[in-house]
Amino acid sequence: MKETLLIFVPTLTLVPVAVVAALAMRRISLSAIEGMARQPEVKGELFTAMLIGMALIEALVIYCLVIGLTIAGKF
Amino acid sequence: MLAPAVQEAMPYIVLVNFGIVCAVIVIALSRIGGMVMHEVPTGAQNVAEYFLDWFVKQSRRIDATVVGLVAPFIATLFAVILLSNLLLIVPLPLLNIPPTAYFGVTFALALTAVLGNIVLNGIHRGILPALTHLVWPNPIQLISEVGHAASLSLRLFGNIGGEYLVALLVLRSAPYGIPLIIHGLGLIPAFIQPLVFTLLTVSFLGTAMTHQAKHEGAARRSRRFSLGGRRRAAALGKQLVTGGESQ
Repeated sequence: MKETLLIFVPTLTLVPVAVVAALAMRRISLSAIEGMARQPEVKGELFTAMLIGMALIEALVIYCLVIGLTIAGKF
Repeated sequence: MLAPAVQEAMPYIVLVNFGIVCAVIVIALSRIGGMVMHEVPTGAQNVAEYFLDWFVKQSRRIDATVVGLVAPFIATLFAVILLSNLLLIVPLPLLNIPPTAYFGVTFALALTAVLGNIVLNGIHRGILPALTHLVWPNPIQLISEVGHAASLSLRLFGNIGGEYLVALLVLRSAPYGIPLIIHGLGLIPAFIQPLVFTLLTVSFLGTAMTHQAKHEGAARRSRRFSLGGRRRAAALGKQLVTGGESQ
């Protein structure tokens, strides 16, 4: 029974974090695209900053995935 | 999902694939480096100069004097990670296992990046300031270096390992046609992840170098003022106000 329930741990850990991260990434990309449209001359710098921000948010999601998999004993 | 024999031999396969990636990079660089360079670049020289320009630009964001140190380092990391990721789309059995889908490889790459940052900082500013930066002004910075290694390695492993897992699952359920779509989509993280890895390495290195410069600058300024350099500072201020007309 316990083993069966443990299968759901990665899912339950990941889903809320993924939803919040998706919202945060939406905000980042929206702002970056707006900025690029307003000032195309700083497009490169905005793209770099956007990627770094997204990478940092994405790292949190991957931490949760790893924690979930560790709890489930699959990692 | 993989055959048990393949799973057992996985570390060796990954090692061989990583060796193949490194060999390809060395051969390609020796070919490009041995080419006759033209003033107006064409073909491979054009591509090489485009990439080189990007690395130089990223290094220049830290400081113009460290381009020679930082650009080769990040270029090597970028090339190794990109080619490792691209092994996923090679249609040959065993060769299509990307080394970056294996946590040991990504952790080794992240350790290389973090230790390389300390070494480059040491070459640029001296060993003692580089080591001092790890514990000064806050000893927690040492833990943050470990965090950098963990975050870099987990990010790369999560992305490429996930992509590989998805490709395996799709291949198992629909062996023909459909995996092409997954491989096409897999090209996006394969190019984005080395970009992110490189950008974050430069960002960490930039933080280390510029923070230290800031501390050193502040210390120098305070020393100048405390050693009776106020008169010099006042003269400098006057010179700035008058636009240097007194000279």
